[in-house]
Amino acid sequence: MEWVSLFVAGLFEVVGVVGMNRIKRDNDVKAYLLFGIGIVFSFLCLSFAMRSLPMGTAYAIWTGIGTAGGALVGMLFFGESHDWRRILCIGMVLVAAVGLKLIS
Amino acid sequence: MNRSWIYILIGVLFEAAWVIGFKHAADPLAWLATVASLVISFYLIIIASAKLPVGTVYAVYTGLGTAGTVLAEMLLFAEPVQPAKLLLIAMLLAGVIGLKLIGGSSAAKEAEH
Repeated sequence: MEWVSLFVAGLFEVVGVVGMNRIKRDNDVKAYLLFGIGIVFSFLCLSFAMRSLPMGTAYAIWTGIGTAGGALVGMLFFGESHDWRRILCIGMVLVAAVGLKLIS
Repeated sequence: MNRSWIYILIGVLFEAAWVIGFKHAADPLAWLATVASLVISFYLIIIASAKLPVGTVYAVYTGLGTAGTVLAEMLLFAEPVQPAKLLLIAMLLAGVIGLKLIGGSSAAKEAEH
């Protein structure tokens, strides 16, 4: 359950980042809602996950999913660069996160 | 050393504080301190980003934050030292820092400004 919660925390972080980008672009209520809901639920899920997981591992994976997920969303939906080095970095984050889950 | 870098270093300390709080806080006062640390660390990263490129600030911040958290749990909370785990965390961190430094369109826009 804590691993699911950690993964969901990373996804909500992506929601928060999308909200932050929309605040810059649209600056409407929906953008602030996305941002608020994203970060609040992200931290709630993270704190639940960290109660049973080692904090260094949980923190690293949370940041990793948030960053790699944000980059993926940017590449798929917001026309960001598909530079092969970015794809390599996303792959490294995912492989490392899965590896951390496997050795825990 | 310019002032923004001092904000980053202090921010990283608050970052480590809230992460430790998320794991170990047990009473309302400890939770209050945890949430305060969270807000302060975000505030410091935002004001540091006003003068420095966001990608760089975030890369340094996450790098130091992760290293600090992993060190703290081994030194202060007797978490076992597992080389395989440290290697995987280093690899994950390299990916995150790479993404922040290479950037997407936002980095290009920042450069135009």
